[in-house]
Amino acid sequence: MTLSLVRLDDRLVHGQVVVGWGRALDVQLVVLVDDRVRASEWEQDLYRMGIPAEVELRFASVPEAIAAAPGWLASPLRTIVVTGDVDTLAQLVEGSDIRRVNIGGIHQQPHRSKRLPYVYLSDDEASRLVSLVARGVDVSAQDVPTARPVPLGEFT
Amino acid sequence: MKSGMVRAWLRLFAVQGAWNFERLQGIGAAWASEPLLRDLPGGPEGERYRDAMRRAASFFNAHPYFAGLAVGAIARAEHDGVPASQVERLRSTLPAPLGSVGDRLFWAGVLPTTSGLGLALAATMPWALGPAVFLVLYNAVHFMVRGWALRAGWENGMLVSRALGEPWLQTALRIAVPFSLASVGFALPIMGSWLTDGLTWPARGGVLAVAVLGVALGKWVLPTLSGLRFGLSAAGLALIVGWLWQ
Repeated sequence: MTLSLVRLDDRLVHGQVVVGWGRALDVQLVVLVDDRVRASEWEQDLYRMGIPAEVELRFASVPEAIAAAPGWLASPLRTIVVTGDVDTLAQLVEGSDIRRVNIGGIHQQPHRSKRLPYVYLSDDEASRLVSLVARGVDVSAQDVPTARPVPLGEFT
Repeated sequence: MKSGMVRAWLRLFAVQGAWNFERLQGIGAAWASEPLLRDLPGGPEGERYRDAMRRAASFFNAHPYFAGLAVGAIARAEHDGVPASQVERLRSTLPAPLGSVGDRLFWAGVLPTTSGLGLALAATMPWALGPAVFLVLYNAVHFMVRGWALRAGWENGMLVSRALGEPWLQTALRIAVPFSLASVGFALPIMGSWLTDGLTWPARGGVLAVAVLGVALGKWVLPTLSGLRFGLSAAGLALIVGWLWQ
């Protein structure tokens, strides 16, 4: 399969994703899965500005992403899928055959507690991720390609 | 010119001054925005100023040189009376493209291009010329981008994606990587012969072998190994071996 990376990152398509991971994986397609961005034209315009011309950027709602996931897994295009919250990621993984996810950055909010310097999770979010591991999904945190991947078990 | 622009531009140099994992650049962005928000209706004691400042201090992160684009655009949106929910969406959306554009332009383009040029000059001319040319060229682009970003943000407000689409910026992004590759590729053999000047041929072979090993390890065996880590490890190892050898 050439679905190179399925990432959870509340900054969505930012520098670490485009420069860090995009270069390391020589990525051709980035899919941003987020219901709110899917519905907002000006936000899509802004995200497009952050993507190099040689990389294609698509937007998908959660149902669209679930429908398209078998295509990404089978496609020869090297693809990164980015989601901005645990719920979106979990729905996508539960509705598809994605078996490995990367946790990039989830930032502080009042109901969240610190798990790693760049990962803050509420208890609900943490247990939702643990439930993905129970389904046989490999969940690990790694902000940039040169960092060590930290398995979910080590920080929840 | 909008009042407070110069002050905001200066304050943006410290946008990371209160960086923390909770809000990242949030506090710094608020401090830089403050001069642009003072003349909101009601003044610094008014409701709108306080609400705008509260929004301005929330979680924020962008490439520091491009942060002014967000600070300017958000201040403009506050002056235009854009609803709070829209301002907050703009504030949470901007970091992604600004981070991406900034990383591509500077970390992948201007920095390696000017470094390569500086290194090549240091090795072939009186050495002080290298760092001097590097610092002047790099910061000329850096200061220009900071000034442009704040002005373009203020001029465009909610339509800030127009500023990011400007032809000069799109062209710069397109040529950033080819320029940095050409510059570093130009500097590498010059640096190599300068560093190995006076070494015997077997020692030069050793230098080449270590360099090839570093590239091979980083590319195929241990992708998490960065060039810096490998270089420092190899230098440390060489010190220990040299010390034991005596």
